[in-house]
Amino acid sequence: MISLYIVLPLALLIAGGAVLAFIWTVRTGQLDDVETPPRRILFDDPPVRDPHLPPPP
Amino acid sequence: MTAALVQLAACVHCGLPVPAGRTTFCCAGCEVVHAAIAANGLEKFYTLREQAAPANATGRAYAELDDPAFQRVHVQLAANGMAHAALYLEDLRCTACVWLVESAPRCVPGTVNVRVDLGRSRADVTWDPRAVSLSAIARFLDGVGHPPHPYRGLDRDGARRREDRALLTKIGVAGAAMGNLMLLAIALYCGLFGGMARSDASLFRWASMLVAVPGLGYAATPMFRTAIGALRARRLHLDLPLSIGILAGLGWGSANVLRDAGEIYFDSLAMLVFLLLVARWVVLRHQRRASTSAELLLALTPARARRIDLGVVVEVPIEAIVPGDLVKVLVGDVIPVDGVIVDGGSALDVGLLTGESRPIEVSVGDAVNAGTANLAAPLIVRATAIGETTRVGRLVAAIEAMSARRAPIERFVDRIAGRFVQIVTLAALVTFVAWSAAVSLGAGAENAMALLIVTCPCALALATPLAVTVALGRAARRGVLVKGADALERLATPGTMFVDKTGTLTAGKLAVVSWRGDVDAVALAVAVEEGSAHPIARALRAHATTPMVATQIEEELGRGIAGVVGGHDVIVGAPAWVRARTACHPGIEAWIAELAERGETPIVIAVDQRAVAVAGLADPIRPDARAALDELTRVGWQVELLSGDDERVARRVGTALGIPAERCHGGASPEDKAVLVAARRLAGPVVMVGDGVNDAAAMAAATAGIAVAGSAEIAIETADVYLRSPAIGDIVATVAGARATLATIRRNLRLSLIYNLTAGTLAVAGVIHPLIAALVMPLSSLTVLASSLRSRAFRELP
Repeated sequence: MISLYIVLPLALLIAGGAVLAFIWTVRTGQLDDVETPPRRILFDDPPVRDPHLPPPP
Repeated sequence: MTAALVQLAACVHCGLPVPAGRTTFCCAGCEVVHAAIAANGLEKFYTLREQAAPANATGRAYAELDDPAFQRVHVQLAANGMAHAALYLEDLRCTACVWLVESAPRCVPGTVNVRVDLGRSRADVTWDPRAVSLSAIARFLDGVGHPPHPYRGLDRDGARRREDRALLTKIGVAGAAMGNLMLLAIALYCGLFGGMARSDASLFRWASMLVAVPGLGYAATPMFRTAIGALRARRLHLDLPLSIGILAGLGWGSANVLRDAGEIYFDSLAMLVFLLLVARWVVLRHQRRASTSAELLLALTPARARRIDLGVVVEVPIEAIVPGDLVKVLVGDVIPVDGVIVDGGSALDVGLLTGESRPIEVSVGDAVNAGTANLAAPLIVRATAIGETTRVGRLVAAIEAMSARRAPIERFVDRIAGRFVQIVTLAALVTFVAWSAAVSLGAGAENAMALLIVTCPCALALATPLAVTVALGRAARRGVLVKGADALERLATPGTMFVDKTGTLTAGKLAVVSWRGDVDAVALAVAVEEGSAHPIARALRAHATTPMVATQIEEELGRGIAGVVGGHDVIVGAPAWVRARTACHPGIEAWIAELAERGETPIVIAVDQRAVAVAGLADPIRPDARAALDELTRVGWQVELLSGDDERVARRVGTALGIPAERCHGGASPEDKAVLVAARRLAGPVVMVGDGVNDAAAMAAATAGIAVAGSAEIAIETADVYLRSPAIGDIVATVAGARATLATIRRNLRLSLIYNLTAGTLAVAGVIHPLIAALVMPLSSLTVLASSLRSRAFRELP
């Protein structure tokens, strides 16, 4: 069962990556408002924004 | 009745029936909004929307939003020259509203971006101040039916967002730790039965430790923090035994990994931490929903005022007004400042401030207060006090001070937790000593630790949040917003319930409640009053309608009105005013005396110089009030009436509702109310039910406060419960729900204590198997969950 010594740390590393990704989504505010975005996908012509502008605060 | 026979068309905007005399639209609001939507090419709104409602557009200029005093407070400028502000929008309901509002950049050039947060009714607007003004954007938003207001509570929002993100991160970490630890544990449990190389088992144990110690150590910090805080304050808190259990589990498990012997409990601990954090999150979300309820964001005193600068009326933010400024107050406006009337005369609704139900007549030279509503005619007021120095401002400050002093109640579950800590610690000590003496020091430590870990009160900690979450969710669906677990505990024990009169037991506005004399005179009186904004005119118009039209109308404000209807001279007014103009025979005088005696306001109607009828006006009692109060009495509450209105009126309403005269307290100032409530609290629980600023101090002084629909902002904020629907019967549902919730909490606690007792006994006996511990802990949590869902609290829907 020597392969366990490679697979187990690898699995934990992937899990750690997933946790970091989750923390990133929380930190960047993607989960602050979970009510409006699912409605916004219904608009087929979203308001046009100037791509050179920074995102709103 | 001709209107009923005509086939009513549906309003193009909202779908409500179009009344006779209008075409296509049901009201001016819908017409304006439909025109604005069409003019901007936004007709897709009608295909996107899920629900329709009459539109709401004020047509204001919003000039105050461009005032420097406003911009300083509410607008941020970015480095690239763009401006940003958060606005609170009215009537944000569904996808279509979001789409409409976010279309602003296409319709108002210079607007860069609008982002809507539906849950908070908030829009974040970014615009180019060189190309467009904020007032232009505001006019667009107002035009499409979402009048904007400056978003207050930005600081509060920011703090809450940080708190939410921190908790969410911890839930994520705990969840990931739990999932991975369970996979590792399954391998270990399989090894237990199927055989496993010692080195492989050791690898899994080490991996478990590496996941559990940092992951759970981080995720459980909220419990550790509360436990330390409680220890410092020498108070008992449920987080204390929880922290002991978690720390003992992590410590003892790690020790066993290091010495490669004994049990590890990491998987059970991870599930415990995860479940506790999720429970906390759900309760927090419900409390937020109650306290950020949109109504709270609308100010009691308006954020703007109409200032008169050199004869021109300018809309300015309230911050720009200084004492001495002249302010114009239109009909329907709330007076923004304390001041003295310099021009005009009107009737004011001061009910929110003092509890008086009758409109107060005011004229030049009279003092007026901020927060009262102008009902009849425009006024010009010279400001004497603004903001916090106004009467309502001082009252609000006093209420806030009183709320801050309010002692937290000792929660039932914390009391149990305290005893729990003592018993478990004692049992652990006994186990350690007994096993050490009988077998060995190692066996003593092993079994004492096992006891501490398996009795970690997981189900106990979930018992309250689960029961409360179920109750709060069901209550919110009913329109009862409860601000947290302790509010339910405060309401569960019957005691004295003080109920405010104006706006709570009554509708809060005048209506015709009795009529003496010629019934045909109603139509004539209504015709004369058709054009008047006076509250008495409104009451008469609400009482009856007429197709007749009056001419030659002369109104003497606060006294009466005269006109010609169908060739008859008609006079409607106060008795003294009518007597001065025409003869009142003794029958009329008797009716006037009778109605005045009952606490009603008599209004005399005279036709062709002869008084023919008397109308009695009063603030009518809500139809469901009697049944609600009777039910409260039946379940053990002593209901008393506490009103700022005249003693006689309080008695009359009390008698009509079956409250004995000695329990009707009239003429009470806001301070009197608070003093009476505080005095009664010495004898037992006191609940204050009310709606106005005048009740808020009493709510803060009471064990618990309930604010009814249409309450003033400060009352909603001070109260523990806010009833959104105007049905007074919801008070009954609330106290019954609180009681049922407490019963569920008790049942949950019993269930979890049974589990702890069993597991503890097994641990003391030294026969606990880690697999049993791993199975029984989730089982006990599931039992508590099932018990909570079965709760009767707020279940029966109307």
